Order: sequence, then C-alpha cells, then structure tokens
Amino acid sequence: MKSELPFRCFTLHPKVVLLEWSTSPDAALLQKLIGFQKAILKEVDEVVQITQGYCSLMLYHKSEVHYIENYANRLYALFESLTAPIRTKQKTWEIPVCYEEELAPDLKSLAKQLKMSTAKLIHTHTSVSYQVYFIGFLPGFLYLSGLPSVLECDRKARPIPKIERGSVAIGGKQTGIYPLDSPGGWHRIGKTPYPLFDPKKKKPCFAQAGDTIQFKSISKSNYFALETQRANGTLEILPL
Amino acid sequence: MIEVLLTGIHSSIQDLGRLGMQNLGVPIGGAMDQNAMQLANRLVNNPLQCAVLEMSFKGPKLRFHQPTTLALAGADMNARLNNEPIDNLTAIRIKEKDIVQFGTAHQGKRCYLAVAGGFKTPKLLGSRSQYLGITPEATICKNKLIPIDTKKINFRKGAHIAAHPKACHKIQVYQGPEYHLLPKRAQEQLNEQSFTISVNNSRMAYVLEEKLTHQLPSIWTAPVLPGTVQCTPDGTLIILMRDAQTTGGYPRILQLSDAGINQLAQKSTQDRFQFELTEV
Repeated sequence: MKSELPFRCFTLHPKVVLLEWSTSPDAALLQKLIGFQKAILKEVDEVVQITQGYCSLMLYHKSEVHYIENYANRLYALFESLTAPIRTKQKTWEIPVCYEEELAPDLKSLAKQLKMSTAKLIHTHTSVSYQVYFIGFLPGFLYLSGLPSVLECDRKARPIPKIERGSVAIGGKQTGIYPLDSPGGWHRIGKTPYPLFDPKKKKPCFAQAGDTIQFKSISKSNYFALETQRANGTLEILPL
Repeated sequence: MIEVLLTGIHSSIQDLGRLGMQNLGVPIGGAMDQNAMQLANRLVNNPLQCAVLEMSFKGPKLRFHQPTTLALAGADMNARLNNEPIDNLTAIRIKEKDIVQFGTAHQGKRCYLAVAGGFKTPKLLGSRSQYLGITPEATICKNKLIPIDTKKINFRKGAHIAAHPKACHKIQVYQGPEYHLLPKRAQEQLNEQSFTISVNNSRMAYVLEEKLTHQLPSIWTAPVLPGTVQCTPDGTLIILMRDAQTTGGYPRILQLSDAGINQLAQKSTQDRFQFELTEV
C-alpha cells in the first residue's frame, strides 16, 4: 500500500523550495515544524536559512537545488525519522493593550461586523492565551494561534497604507501586533506600548516560535505612561 | 565623507541585504537592481557586495570631502561632475570638494553610485541596507555626511564597460505555489496580456493596474520572497520587491526570476511589460 506524502515539496525559484502541509495548523504540527527546521539545518548543508509559515517552511539554498540529488525524498525521509518532539524552552509573555477607541480605529466597525459589543470583543480577545506560531511579515511580527472563532473576520479587501507601530489587530483567523508602521490588511482593535523589535540587540525580538502570549487590557493613561518609558528606552519586557 | 546637498527623490544606501534573518521577520532588502549595483562595484574594483548609493527617479547633489574613485551604473541620470557631464559605466577620479549632481532618470529608473572601497555607514543586523525600523532612516538625509572608504585605486585610464541597458518588456517568471489553482482563463491572461505598473510602487512592492478574475481562497499565512506575485481577493496583482515582507496571506501565483526583479526595478509608474513563464 502506497502511503501519502507527508507534505508538498515545491520549487518556486532555482534556490528556494517550499514545503507545505495540507492540514490545518495546530499545536502538534507546530512542534513538528520547529523540530523539522532544527533537523534540516543540522543535516542538510545546502540550506542557509528557513522561513516558517502556519503550515509551511521555505528553504533557501546556497546553490541551485536542481543539482541536489534525490532532494525531495531525502527531506521526506528526514521528516519521517523524527520521532520524539524536540523540547524547546517556551516562555509566556503578558502584553499590555489599550483597547480604547482613540488607539483602536477599527474596533467599532469590527464589533459591528461580528455583531457583538466592543466590551464583548475586548473581553473575548483578552480571555484566552495565544501561541506564537512563527515570526514573519515584518521584523518582530508574531503570528499567533488561538483566536476564538467568534472573532474570526474577513481581512480588509485591500491593505491600508499605514498601520501604526504597536497596533493590535485581527485579520481572518489570526491576531497580531504591528512592530513597525506598515501597510496592512487587518482590523486595528488596540495598541500596546511594548518594544517589540530592537535591531541593536543581540536578540532583536523578545519571543520565539512556541512561546505563549496573553493580552491584558490597560487604561489610556497607563498606556501613555508606558509609552513614555518605551520612548526613553527604559521599558523592559520580561516573561511571566 | 560625502555631504548630501540635495537628496533626490529616493536615494538610499544599499548592499545585498540581510539574508538569514527572515525567521525574525526581517526583510532581505538590498539593491533593487543588483545587476547594475554589481556592475558599479566591479568598475571600482570592489567586492560585489559592497554598499552603494541607490538613486531613484531623480538623483541627489553631493559634495565629496575626500578624494576617491566612483562609477555609475543603471539608469542614465545626466550625471555632472563640477557641471561637466560624466558617463555611466566608467571609473572616474574624484578630488576633494568635487560636486557631483544628478538629474532625472531616463533609460531606467534607478542609478547606482559605487565608490572605491564602498560606503561605510554602520551595519545593523549584518547589512548597511537602509530600511526604516532597522536603520534610523529610510533614505539619505539633506546636509548629512555619509562615511565612505578611504581606499585609493590606481588606474591609468578609467575602466569602462561598453554596455547599454536595454529596455526589456518581458519579465521572466516561474509558476507560484498557487498558480495551479487559477482558472485556465486567468492563467492565459497572465501569459498573454500586457500589465501596467500603477502609481503604487516602491522598494517594498509594485501594484499592477490590470486585475485578474479568480476565486482563489485566502491561504494560511506562508513565506514569500522578493519577486513573489500575490493576488488579492479583488484580483489586484502585487509584485513583492526587495523590501518585501517575509510572509503573506494572499495566494502566490507567480515568482519572478532574479533577473526579472532586476529588470522590473528599472521600471516604474505607467511602464508596461509582459510575464514570460518559464520552468524553474
């Protein structure tokens, strides 16, 4: 009996291969992706770096993959050989968010789209914890899983030109925090004063794939007090 | 040091960017047209990854505070040295206090200025490429001094490359991961139609004017790279360029070749081109 291939192996550029799993993202797949990345970087010399998505990995190579013999089968065999989940140190971070309208330009319209009160939306958003799936899109942008299904919504049909640094937003089945001013297609429901990415630090981003995030609602005055500290460079972000 | 008397429209220091930090969401960045950037470096005997000045649409006015050798490649910006015209693709000796001024780009949109030994702005996350959020500024700033190397190169006669940039209407692409999900008609449209670059184009992405008819679903956010062509729900095509984000949720229907990105980097608003689909 022929077993199904565990993932799709697609060459989209002479030096870049995309590995894609057809299942929906969940905690088990995340652990496999984290473990598989470590194994690839250890076992496959040709790979110079890996970018992760919810259900996919993108492998960048030193030279054209066309010349790597039997490459897809090597990757399948490596994946199948991984048994025990690789243990990584996983931390929990509490992120203070001000959900007041002045800092949350899309809160009202999103609440209307979801047919709930803004208070209910905020309560739902802060009542659960989220897992960091990967970092992508922008420097230090955390992709989080665990958004309650009642908060799922359509993304904006077209991205808007500027979403401000620190904005907490919902798009599709996902929630996240914008670490820099950027164009974006998600709905802005709050803002955090926390420093999310510092290029001068040895470890520029505080969190990593597998960590846990909790949002905590704070007042506007508390937000501005913390924001002043951040601007002075005195606001430290520590795990719980 | 080089003093910036006028900045031009979008002039920034660029090398080959930050490959290797995409798992922190850091864009690769780097020179938009890396072919022209490397030609400029070659003319002044630099390693190909040396930082250069990328000048877009309209170039700056610069005063040199030290002697050096420079070379220009890419778009023709009517460069003048102390008011005398100078050629692209030629190594040129510069004395202290010389003034180099650029005009509006023709035959391309981006021109690259290399100096002997390269630009020496501080490296952040392994690169000098300017990108707002990683470097303090996205472009060079008026009245500021930019550090350059003090290397002197000796040549009897200015090195010169006899090449002329050719306008290219076909941009080489490969199939993207979601290409096969497009209806036949949309695939034909991509293969046969000409596309126009909209006014919404930058180092991050070029948005095209023509739309595609499709019913592709959103995808789980997944990695993208410079040259990835995304298709939004309303059919808008977005070609990601060097400062592209590292992941995205729109279907990825095409992928530009490296040469394709370099060629597109010399095009801008209202320029037209066709995709030329090839096998990886």
